[in-house]
Order: sequence, then structure tokens, then C-alpha cells
Amino acid sequence: MRTYRIWDPFVRLFHWSLVIGFTANAFFIDDDSAQHEWVGYAVVALIALRLVWGLIGPRYARFASFWPRPQGIRDQLSDLATGRRRVHLGHTPLGGVMILNLLGTILLLGLTGWLMTTTAFWGVEWVEEAHEALVLWAEFSIVLHIAAVLWESLRTGVNLPRAMVTGRKDMPDNARIAP
Amino acid sequence: MSPAATEAKPLALLVLIAAQSFCAAFFLWDVAADGGALGWAALRSAHFLIELLAALALVAAVIFETRYLLRLLRRKAHLEEQLGLAAGAFHDIVTDRFQRWGLTPSEQDVAMFLLKGFGIPEIAQLRGSAEGTVKAHLNGIYRKADVTGRGAFVSLFIEDLMSGLPQDRG
Repeated sequence: MRTYRIWDPFVRLFHWSLVIGFTANAFFIDDDSAQHEWVGYAVVALIALRLVWGLIGPRYARFASFWPRPQGIRDQLSDLATGRRRVHLGHTPLGGVMILNLLGTILLLGLTGWLMTTTAFWGVEWVEEAHEALVLWAEFSIVLHIAAVLWESLRTGVNLPRAMVTGRKDMPDNARIAP
Repeated sequence: MSPAATEAKPLALLVLIAAQSFCAAFFLWDVAADGGALGWAALRSAHFLIELLAALALVAAVIFETRYLLRLLRRKAHLEEQLGLAAGAFHDIVTDRFQRWGLTPSEQDVAMFLLKGFGIPEIAQLRGSAEGTVKAHLNGIYRKADVTGRGAFVSLFIEDLMSGLPQDRG
């Protein structure tokens, strides 16, 4: 068993703040309240910080380290198809696709939410519908994200949810580590 | 087919699967919303039933494509450097047998390495798993193929080669 430090404190804080912010706005806070708007802006600010961190942060936080490439996606799919076990230290290629999807979706959520408050777009139907469709897409993506994390943890024997709390990944001795 | 085309195929299929999954999720959600609004009366509405059938057909298509994609990737994983026709034909017969025996994807992978002459430690290393896991897979393979061990397993395929590939016979 070898331990690697992967997720820095900012990435972990960002992840769980996003979880709290999104859950609160989607399920608990009244959609028409001022609080909904403020939580929304806070989430957008978090993502803006994450984007900057993705350029200047430590190795595994950088977009350059997990920007998905066709070859990487194909290799990961081949591993899944043949039941081979290869672990990735940072995000897996498909995981990288999901990260970009979630960041983009939530940014667009913030944008459409803000548009609804402007005089030009207030009460415009397509903006509100886009906002609601994006919420649905985000929820669908999150369910998929959680399912994939659990499945990948069981498949590779690396406890991924714990890694997002402690920042450390414990790799089994015989695991092949993807470059 | 040119190498570039075979390279692109799994990814194109993956994009198609992703797009269709998105559509399937959307239609299923729509059907569920309609069903919720109409209640049991929905089952007597032709429009609802057609919508439901269309959504389920799309889901079936996604499942079928996913299975095809996984098979394609398994084939590519084993035939990466061999582009000869004979290698491809033999590989098809081998995977056909594996599937008839009901080998799992992992067992198929191990069995393929076994045919290529790798030992247990090498297979474990190639697959990134423990030797014990590979041994468990081997037991499953021998049991399903109804043979006693490696020699008997390999000779099942040698027999095919010596009597000509089945396609040539028929």
C-alpha cells in the first residue's frame, strides 16, 4: 500500500462547498428568494476561483493534468471493457470530462440565473426554461458522477470519496499506475 | 479500413452513445412527468404509450451500442499490433467460443493472455491485479470450458487450427 497526496486543501474545500451550495439552491432554498441569488453568485465565485486555480495550482489541480484526450479516453474504456485494473493518480480521462461538464453547466446556471434578474431578460421565457433544463442536466450529471466514483472505487480498490476528504489516495501494491 | 478510421470508430460510437443517452434521459423524464400527471389513465392514452415505447426503444439502442462498443474495444485491446486477416479471423473464433462458454470480460482477457502463452505472474502484472485474482479467473475459465488445465484448454483451439478454421469448412 502506497499513499499519494493528490488533492490540495483548496480543491477539497471547493468540492464540498460546491456540493453544499448546489444542494441548498436546488432543494432547500426558495427559488424566488434573495438568498437563492446570493448562494448562486457565491457558487459562481467559487468556480471562478477554481478556474484560476486550474492554471496556477499544484500539479493535480491543473487543467493541463486532466484535460481529457481521445487516446486517454480510449485507453480507459479498453480497461473497462477487458476488466483490467489501472489506477490514475489524479482525475481519470472520463472523470476529466465530467469535471469540465459540471464546471460548464454550473457556470451556465449562474449566467441564466443572473440574466433573469436583469431588466432586459426579466420574465423572458427561454431564459427561465434554460435555467431549469440546466438544473436537470446538472442533477443527472451529479448522479452519474457519484455512481462512477463508487463504481471506480470498488473496481480499483482505491477509496475515492475518502481521497476527496483527506486529499490522500492509498494505492494497492500491485496496482498499475496510468502515466 | 485505414488505421485512422479504426482509430476513430470507438470514439465516434462513444459520442453517439453519449448523445443518445442524453436524449433517452430527456424522453424518459418527459414520459415520467406525463405519467405522473395523467395517473393510471396514461395507460389508455395512445400518445403516452407510443411515447413510452419510443423512449424504451432508445434505451435498448443505447444498451446494444454500449455492448458493441465494449466488444470492439476488447477486440482492439488484443489485436493492436496484428492486422493480418488470419489473426482477425482466429480472434473472432476464439471470442465466439469465450462468449458461448459465458466467460466474463475479465475472464476473456485472462484467457486471451493464456492462449498467448503468458504465465500467471505476467498476466497479473499486465492486468494490474493480484495473482490470486488471476488464479480465480483461471479456475472459472477451466470450469466453464470443461477442461482440466492449461494444456487441455489450449489444445481446444489448436484442434480448430489443424482442422481448418470453421468458416473454410462451411
